[in-house]
This record gives sequence, structure tokens and C-alpha cells, in this order.
Amino acid sequence: MAALGRLAVCLALLCAVFAVGASVAGAARRRRDLIDAGANAAYAVFGLVAVAVAILLRALLTHDFSLEYVAAYSSSTLPVQYTVAALWGGQKGSLLFWVFVLALFTTLVQLQNREQNRALMPWVTAALMAIAVFFLALLTFVTDPFELLATPAREGQDLNPLLQNYWMMIHPPSLYTGYVSASVPFAFAIAALVTGRLDDQWIRSTRRWALFSWFFLSLGNLFGARWAYEVLGWGGYWAWDPVENAAFMPWLVSTAYLHSVMIQEKRDLLRVWNMVLVLLTFTLTIFGTFLTRSGVISSVHSFTQSGLGPFFIGFLVAVILVAGGLVVWRLPALRTRGTIESFASREAAFLFNNLILVGIAFAVFWGTVFPVLSEWVRGVKITVGPPFFNRVNAPLGVVLLFLIGVGPVIAWRRATPRNLRRAFAGPLVAGLVAAVLLRLAGVPFGWAHATFALGVFVLGTIVQEFYRGVRARQAMLHEPAARALARLVGKNRRRYGGYIVHVGVVAIFVGVAASSAFRIETQQTLAPGQAMKVGRFALRFERTESREDAHVASLAAVVAVDEGGRRVATLRPEKRLYKKPQQPTTEVALRSRLTEDLYVVLGAYDPQSGQATLLAYVNPLVSWIWIGGAILALGTAIAMWPSPLERRERAWAAGRVGAAAR
Amino acid sequence: MSLGAHIGALALGALLAATPPLVAAPPTQQEIEEALTCQCGCGLTVHACNHLQCPSGEPMKREIAERLARGESKEAILAAFRARYGEKVLSAPTFRGFNWFAWATPFAAVAAAALALGVVLGRRTRARPGGEAPPPAAADPALRARLARELEELEREP
Repeated sequence: MAALGRLAVCLALLCAVFAVGASVAGAARRRRDLIDAGANAAYAVFGLVAVAVAILLRALLTHDFSLEYVAAYSSSTLPVQYTVAALWGGQKGSLLFWVFVLALFTTLVQLQNREQNRALMPWVTAALMAIAVFFLALLTFVTDPFELLATPAREGQDLNPLLQNYWMMIHPPSLYTGYVSASVPFAFAIAALVTGRLDDQWIRSTRRWALFSWFFLSLGNLFGARWAYEVLGWGGYWAWDPVENAAFMPWLVSTAYLHSVMIQEKRDLLRVWNMVLVLLTFTLTIFGTFLTRSGVISSVHSFTQSGLGPFFIGFLVAVILVAGGLVVWRLPALRTRGTIESFASREAAFLFNNLILVGIAFAVFWGTVFPVLSEWVRGVKITVGPPFFNRVNAPLGVVLLFLIGVGPVIAWRRATPRNLRRAFAGPLVAGLVAAVLLRLAGVPFGWAHATFALGVFVLGTIVQEFYRGVRARQAMLHEPAARALARLVGKNRRRYGGYIVHVGVVAIFVGVAASSAFRIETQQTLAPGQAMKVGRFALRFERTESREDAHVASLAAVVAVDEGGRRVATLRPEKRLYKKPQQPTTEVALRSRLTEDLYVVLGAYDPQSGQATLLAYVNPLVSWIWIGGAILALGTAIAMWPSPLERRERAWAAGRVGAAAR
Repeated sequence: MSLGAHIGALALGALLAATPPLVAAPPTQQEIEEALTCQCGCGLTVHACNHLQCPSGEPMKREIAERLARGESKEAILAAFRARYGEKVLSAPTFRGFNWFAWATPFAAVAAAALALGVVLGRRTRARPGGEAPPPAAADPALRARLARELEELEREP
């Protein structure tokens, strides 16, 4: 079966090379047969890579330890869900999974565009397949997932215990989906640049893909944060690790694009800037992959490090040269004559929002690469850790939060003083009142205080928009409030979906600010029966419980939690020892509430004395990060859902195609 | 004050806010632990590292506590660790020499871009003096009725 898997990858590479050549030649010579052959070869790539993935998955599930990959990343006792996750748990498997998702998206794009974008599609196929060629060449010539061991192993080395967690089942696929789907707008941008069709068509065709990519990048980052929170056991969820940064940067640039593209659609401005943002988002996904795989910067994600760095840096340089060259070549055609008419306009607000988002992305990039720069210039190794990123990004984040409130409600073109009063008087008063009340309640001035007050301001603008929209419908159509609200959102999903996304973002901001600024923590070594205090909770270490199976041995400290003299929970923080890699891990015990999380970690246990060292944290409002993520997902789903008008247009187009076929 | 100056002041304010206070409060154990990187390879600060009996983080935490008990300043404690492990033990770049680039570059880049944007937009807006935006359409009853009809029409599914 391994030979079949390798053959499938090799054939997929040949088909991808053919798809690139045929698509380019077909487009250049205007030959439909070649274009169709290129598209069919791309379908074949998907089929062949799917076969390769199925073979590797089968090898994992049947514990075929003759394969080096299966022996290195699974074991016979690994639970089945993590055996499936082992597909992307290691270097080779994750690259194969990446190219599978890419081939799947290429197929979907081709199916979507059978009857449209005929001039762009050969170049889109060529660009997507060129990316596939790179990954398939790595899998064929450099890092073969079907490599056989000289002597089959009797047992596998098991999946890294840190990855044996529910969130790791969904964090990497979400992130890969976000990364890979960024290839689609990139491919359309390349096609638009090559063909000179620089109007809005390529943007309209990829709007949902850009949103889809952003959605999965958002989820991927949040799932990763949740994984870190539950698994790493240090009380936090974001450590500004280089690989976290690598996933955060394309998200920031993609967010900037989703805002600035509205200016192009509405006012035909910022064509060059939007093109740059799309190309930069994709480039950053490759840069992120380079960081993860190269080991050039030390990271907690070292389980995926390899010698692939030079290949990725080469690909990165090629992408930058080709994309940059095309932009420079088309610069005269990309320039628009329109202009932003006033600082007090939505265009200007979105532009400053873009500036801050890209500024934060740059700050994160700069902090990530600065240790390499320092070593290169001074020959001195330094660390750029959380204190740097927090200090640099906090002020930029607060400015961004303010702009989240301004951008969506300020008037297009030029806001008059009357427009400004109408849009902002209420929310500003609400924000100021909140600032005063928070101070009176004992919240000290600082970034967290500013975040809470600005959060109220932003929510004020959003609530006001919903309220005015509902009132307008009620006045005109005499609808009940609930129906007016549902139809208001249903009729303009993109706009109101966007507002809902902003509510989610505010919740995330508030959760991050509160849990960063007001966290309480304590560490104590306790004998059975002894208690410690953290915040308003008393934690009594009662006893230990242990259990063991063939895969893992665990020791839990049973901790009774009292609040105001009343028992509110019994928590069981654990230490686990995974038997095959002989690696200990921490299993956090959580009591989550909307107001705060009580987070308890078993730091150490001494069997001789029976004493346990407990680390306990009270993380205020941290749940709002995850709730914000759910709200953000809801808003994005609403924004992506086709409107009745779009559905009608699609049905009409399908009918036209059907009639033509008959 | 022009808008460009406003933006410049905002950027400067942000930069100042990001720099450490000139008069330091008495150092705490946590503050110093957070200023140091654990040398066990976890990539976390000494404070965040919770590795079971970490061979690096645990002794560092104990040493910080001992030095604080002896009344040493934060600077002296950090300098002692730096002398032992090199500059990489600090969890953020110092505010000296080449390291200033680490701190100043992001703010300088954002401030420069904001200034450039402000200047370009300022020129264009001055070049095109415009009146106020047109007032919203008058609440003509006939127009409102037509709008309502068309909204109803839109709501009908195909």
C-alpha cells in the first residue's frame, strides 16, 4: 500500500505540473482544449491526493508500523480520534493534508466557475496548481510520508502527548483550512494581474473565499488559544510564541483586506492596496509555515520542525518576486482616479483601521524576527517575549478598538457635524459614563480600563444601528420588533453580520484585557486536609486518585473548592504520564463561569510526604474570549450566507446553463 | 492643531505609554519572574513555566526570592541573571543601543504611515473643497410608500 501511496503522490505531482503548463498555454494561445485539459488535470490531482491521504489514514488506523510516519506519530494504544489526528500531527502528514485541502479547494473553485470568469480561470488553476507543485515536490523528493522502515517497528512511538487533546483535533485543520483557502483570493489576484482584468470581478468572485479563509483563521487561532489554555497549564492562552504569531499575522492582514475591499466595491478606491493585502495574506501563510517548519526561531511548536526551511524560504522569495513584479507591472492600470474626500468619512476610518491592523501585523513580525536580526547584527542572542508584544500591541489595540466603533457608522464620503452627532453622541456618552463608573468601581486607569470603556462605546454604536434599523422597518412596514430585527439582518447580511462579528471582537478584547490585567494567582504546597486561598476561593487538598491503563497513567489531586464557606465544586487537576514517550503532561482543572475561571494545576506531588503543590489562578472574564469567538463565528456565517437576491441570481444562472445544455 | 499633528501626538502618546515608568515601584517576585525567560527550552517566562520540577525555572524562582529578601533591586537581580546566562535570559529587549530599534520601529512605522496618510489625504481634501453631504431624502409620503412596496417585493422569495 505504501508503494501505491507514493505512486499517487508522484502522479499527482505530474498532473499538477501538467495542469500549470496546459492552463498557461491554453490561456496564452486561447485554446479551450488545453484549458479544459489543465482543469481536468487539477481534478485528477485532487483524486490522487485523496487516494494518498486515504492510504496514510488506513496505515495509521491499522497500525502499520512498517511506515516510518506511522511508527513515529502513533501507537497501538492511541485512541482512535488521536490516531486520525496523527495525520496532521507530524511534518510529512501535515504537508500531505495541506496539499489535500488545496486540491479540494481547487476543485471547488473550478466547479464554482464553470460558467463564469472564463478569462481568469486558466490562470487561477495555474496559480493554485503551482502551489500544489511545490508541496507535492516536497512530498516526492524531500519528505516522503510513505517512507518504509528497514525493519518494521513492533510498536509506535506515539503521538506527542501535548497533541492528545480535543482541541488539537480541530485546531490544526481549522488553521490549515484558513491558510489554504487564502490561496484562492491569491490565485484570483494573480489571474487578474496577468490578464489585466483589474475591475471588481475578481474581488466579487473571491469575497466569500476571503471571508471563509478569515473565518477559519479566526477559529484556528482561537482553538489554538483554547488548547494552550487547557493543555500547557500556565494559566494563560497566548504566549506570543513565533508560531502563534505566524498564524496571527495573516489573520490581521486578512482582516484589513475585508475592510478595505468595501471601499473598492463602494467607491472604486484602493485597488493597489487591496491587491497588496491579498498577496500579503498568502505570503504570510507561507511565512508562517516556514517559521513552523524551519526551526529558525525557537518555538513550543518544535514537534513540526525539520530541514524544510530553505525550501520554504525559496518558495517565499519566488512568491514575493512574482506577485510583486506583477503588481509593479500593472501599477498604472491599478491606479484609480477617485479620492477620499474627507478625514471624517468611512473611507478614511477604514484606511486608519487598515493602518493599525497592518501596523500590529508589522509589530508582531518585527518582534518575531528581531532575535534573528539581533544575532545577525550584534552576534548576540536575545529573547523577544510576551512583555514586548503586550507593551507594543496594547496601545495599538486600543486605537483599533476605537476605530471598530467609528468605521461602520460614520458616513461615506464626508460626514457633516450633524451626521457625526447623530452617529456618535449616544455611544460616546455611554463610553464616558462607563469609564467613570468603572473608575468608581475601583478599576484603575490603564489599558484594561480603556478597553472596557471603548468596548461600551463600540457596543453603543452597534446597538444604535440595530435599533434605528428596526425602528425604520417598524415605521415603514409596521412589523413587530422581532420580525423587523430578523428581516433587517436577513436583508443585509453582510452589514449586520459584520456588526455581530464586531460584538464578538469586543467580547474577545474585554476577555483578554480583564484576564491579563486582573489575574490572581497563587502557588502553595499542601498536605492532605490543608487549604489555600486564591481570590475569594478556598481550595482544600483532600486526597489523590490514580488510574492507569495501557496508554497512560494519571494522578489527580482531589481539591474541594469553597466560596464564602459553601462548597461550590470539587476539582481534579492531574499529572499524566504517557507510557510510550514517557512524557509527563498537565491536565488543568477548570471551573468556568461568565465572571471568571478558577484554574487549578497540580504542579508537583511528593509520594513520600503526600504533599501536593497546587497552582491556582482566577482569570476574570476569560470565558468571554470563547463566547466572543462563538459570536464572531455566528456573525461570519450570517455575512457569508447568500442573500435572497444572490440566490435568485444563482438560480437564474443555473437555469440559463441548464437551458443551454438542453 | 492640524490632523497630522494630532496623529503625531497620538503616536507619541502611545510610545510614551509603552515605555516603562521612570520611577519604579518596589519590585515584586512576579514582576522579575516575568522579566526573565526560563532556560529549560519551554520558551515561556520564568513566571509562566510550570514544568514539573523544572531544572531551570524552579532554581531561578528561588534565587529571585532570596535576592529580593536581601533587598536587591530589580535591576541588580536582572543584571545578575544576565551575567550568568547572557542577554537572551531577559524576556524583552533592553532599552539600550541596537535594542531600541526593537521598541521604536513598530511605533515609528505606524506613526510615519499615519503621517504620510494624513498629509496625502489632507492635500486631496484641501484640493477638493466640498460642501456638506446632501441631506437625507425628504420624507415624501409617496416615496416612503414606494420604498415600502419595494422592500416588500424584495422579501418575497423566488
